[in-house]
Amino acid sequence: MISLAMILLASLFFSGIVLRTKSLVSGRKGPGFLQPLKDVLRLLRKGTVFSETTSFIFQIASSIYFVSVLMAIMIVPFGLSKGLISFDGDFVFFAYVLALGKFFSIISAMDTGSSFEGMGASREALYSMLAEPAFFVLMGSFAMLTGHTSFHCIFTALHFSSHVSYALGVLATFVLIMVAMIENSRMPIDDPKTHLELTMVHEVMILDNSGFGLGLFTYAVNLKFAMYGAIIANFFIGDVPWYFAVLVFMAVQVLFAVIVGLLESFTARFRMAHNATFIFTLTSASLLIFFGVLLLMGKFI
Amino acid sequence: MDNVQLVIATLFLTVAGMVINSLLPSGIRATASFIFILINAVLTSIPALDALGGHPLDVVFQGTPFLGNVPFRMDALSAWFVLIVNFTCINGGLYGIGYMKAYREQKSNLALHWSMFLLFQSSMLWVCMLQHGLAFLIAWELMSLSSLLLVMFEHQKRETLKAGINYMVQMHVGVVLLTAAFIWVYVSKGSFDFSAIGSFFKENKNVWLFLLFFGGFGIKAGFIPLHSWLPHAHPAAPSHVSGVMSGVIVKMGIYGILRLALMLEDNWLAIGASLLVLSVATGLYGILNAAMRRDFKMMLAYCTIENIGIIGAGIGLFLIGKGTDNPTLSTIGLTAALLHTLNHSLYKSLLFFSVGSVYQQTHTRNMEKLGGLIRKMPQTAFFFLMGALAIGGLPPLNGFVSEFLLYSGFVEGTKTDNFYISTLMMLSLAGLAVIGGISLLAFTKSFGVIFLGSPRQPLAHVPAEVPLEMRLPQYLIVAVMLAIGLFPQYFLNWVVHLEGLAVHAPDMVAVTFLDSTMANIGRYSLIFLVLLLPVFFLRNMNMVSRPSEIITTWGCGYVAPNNRMQYTGKSFSKTLGKLLGFLVGEKKNYKEIAPEEIFPKERAYVSHYTDFFENSLIEKLTKPLLNGMNYFQFIQNGRVQYYVLYGVVFMLLLFLGTLFKWI
Repeated sequence: MISLAMILLASLFFSGIVLRTKSLVSGRKGPGFLQPLKDVLRLLRKGTVFSETTSFIFQIASSIYFVSVLMAIMIVPFGLSKGLISFDGDFVFFAYVLALGKFFSIISAMDTGSSFEGMGASREALYSMLAEPAFFVLMGSFAMLTGHTSFHCIFTALHFSSHVSYALGVLATFVLIMVAMIENSRMPIDDPKTHLELTMVHEVMILDNSGFGLGLFTYAVNLKFAMYGAIIANFFIGDVPWYFAVLVFMAVQVLFAVIVGLLESFTARFRMAHNATFIFTLTSASLLIFFGVLLLMGKFI
Repeated sequence: MDNVQLVIATLFLTVAGMVINSLLPSGIRATASFIFILINAVLTSIPALDALGGHPLDVVFQGTPFLGNVPFRMDALSAWFVLIVNFTCINGGLYGIGYMKAYREQKSNLALHWSMFLLFQSSMLWVCMLQHGLAFLIAWELMSLSSLLLVMFEHQKRETLKAGINYMVQMHVGVVLLTAAFIWVYVSKGSFDFSAIGSFFKENKNVWLFLLFFGGFGIKAGFIPLHSWLPHAHPAAPSHVSGVMSGVIVKMGIYGILRLALMLEDNWLAIGASLLVLSVATGLYGILNAAMRRDFKMMLAYCTIENIGIIGAGIGLFLIGKGTDNPTLSTIGLTAALLHTLNHSLYKSLLFFSVGSVYQQTHTRNMEKLGGLIRKMPQTAFFFLMGALAIGGLPPLNGFVSEFLLYSGFVEGTKTDNFYISTLMMLSLAGLAVIGGISLLAFTKSFGVIFLGSPRQPLAHVPAEVPLEMRLPQYLIVAVMLAIGLFPQYFLNWVVHLEGLAVHAPDMVAVTFLDSTMANIGRYSLIFLVLLLPVFFLRNMNMVSRPSEIITTWGCGYVAPNNRMQYTGKSFSKTLGKLLGFLVGEKKNYKEIAPEEIFPKERAYVSHYTDFFENSLIEKLTKPLLNGMNYFQFIQNGRVQYYVLYGVVFMLLLFLGTLFKWI
């Protein structure tokens, strides 16, 4: 329960910090921390414009996407306290529930019959497919190290093993930050600020969404960021009192948001053709973690 | 009647059905056949359920002519497959009644079709139950031939004929391997009984005999590189036949491999690891090709290959578990394999039925010509969507359950001390994740292109929703799929119970932890659906209270968009195809515009993807073979005189042979 509350709290200001970082770096004052949240609230209160080509798929997709992210968030633990959902192998459920949401967001883009949205849908499907093995190898390696297969047990056991696991945690943080960037279609894979539909990924997919539906899609991005931030935070929250854990959690979230902001300010978007190679490289970073785990367990001959 | 009589009754019923079928007026032929299918299914399901309840059938037909004593057994493994065959055949038969109405003028062709469908079902059932090498091969051959005739229903089409001959040849290569394997056992043990294989394994090296059997069964199942009949035969067949073939006939190969795998006595690790590698490769290759194809039935055929890979990975885990003395792993592996067999038979037949409805209404298998069918055929679109979600392994449907088991198996498998096995498991885990990702791409593509957007081309006549008898079996399948997805623990218990019967007790451990995990999956999938309600309700409340309007799709400022400008399936998967171009070769046929051609003429651009193994392996083998055969063409020269001469020479040889006692 506490993890759900913390992630929801973090999601409120996450995008705000990212925006603020970007504007400060580029020498502007920038909007307030809560501006993205206000934008979402404004969207939720607005009327909707539909494309005449769409069917019921388009109507249900935004809700399914939002709920899938919410469901995934419930699985993420907070330090030593479990998430609302926790069972053996829940990381598989986590990935697949997110995939379910993605499935619907992709077909809702196809539902509009627009060539631009189809293009975005195709890219989204490809990139998330390429990022999938990185996440699974990462979680599989930690499952192997700790002998557990649920997020909560993995993180709990991780902190009672040696300190080398923190080194692995750093590598895992890198992979997870990148996975979060890909999943949310941010730099260096995609630039949400671009104004050319041809080069967009996620933004072009939701081009025909408006009002409540768009609000759900937009807020889901914040939730997803906070969710990955929470997973990263779990690598560093050890067996500490709750107020300290909350502090670490918030620090990690803020740091994560600042990193995202800095990444978006100082990197340029890759060429589309290079994205696939880059994303797949993450899997090799995950494999490094796997070999690290093998080393730790003394399985190398 | 006891169970033996029930099963024997099906033998007579099948023959009677085939005869009666040809005598009946053509109007009620399909219904009559369906009744026979239903009766046969009930008659064999009763002993199957008994076998699952712990009372297997085990009789020997003494002194049958030519074959001798034929053992006839219905154990738990057979029972599982018998039930799957029956459920799929009932649905296929029911769907077929509606589907074949379009061909009602071809009366004699239809009579043959339905007779063969009956034979097809029965032969599959006998394959599961006969445990005498030769009798098994006869049933196996009947199954192949009856399905061949089912595939070649539209025999007037050239491509169908070609696909049928391809299928027949490949099946017989498989039969040769199986025959050789059975004869090997017979020579060494003096018996065709399946139990002789077990005793063969106890004394000899296991690998080679297993390999021989695997060659035979693997062709049926469709492991790469033995898969190349599948993508040709499935599209050629009528859809209810493709559904049943893809749903269960390839599972007969899996049945054979499982039967053998349970009898292995040695070399578990080597066989298991090779099977795992081959299976993951099969899965990746299958789904990659599925993502590329624009013929939607061929796409589903490749997808079957992928799922065979997933099932094979389960069997591989089972063997590795036995090899590394990890009963938990072997239980998870076997459970995943058996459960995925059931799951795949459900959603693959559902998918074939739904695209069959599309084909019936639009008369094209090319998805690039379709679009926007969800408006005309909303229920068919729903079936396809359910099938697509399930095959992608997404919760809350049944595909997730078996894939989840496989993931837990891989994680469990990494726990061994063996470095190689750990690495293999981790790579397989990554492989399965990639398979899941590509299948998401493949099915969002096909669903999006076939059912969503607007029609890409005007069709000959306006498609409409198919009649109830075609939708009914699909509703049935969706219901079963949801039941497995939401209450997986009961199905898990059945499968584990079945394994306890099929594999001798000490090998299996009670996987109680899986039980609660499965219950959790079901519960949380349900919660997901429940959570959806308030969000959707909120959205609808909002929709009612605020102004909403319906206009054209945002065309980024372009004012004259048309339907041909929609994203095509080809472009959807093009990037992936380019990334893995070494595996999925794209053949293009077009002429570049020459520099001096100032006013280019109208020209055509054709591109299609080719099968790597078919093009670079099988054709390389068959081409020289065909060329070599040309030298013997003089034997078959069409002159009666020569054929008489052959007869004379043969008789002379026989005469001389007996005279001088050569024989």
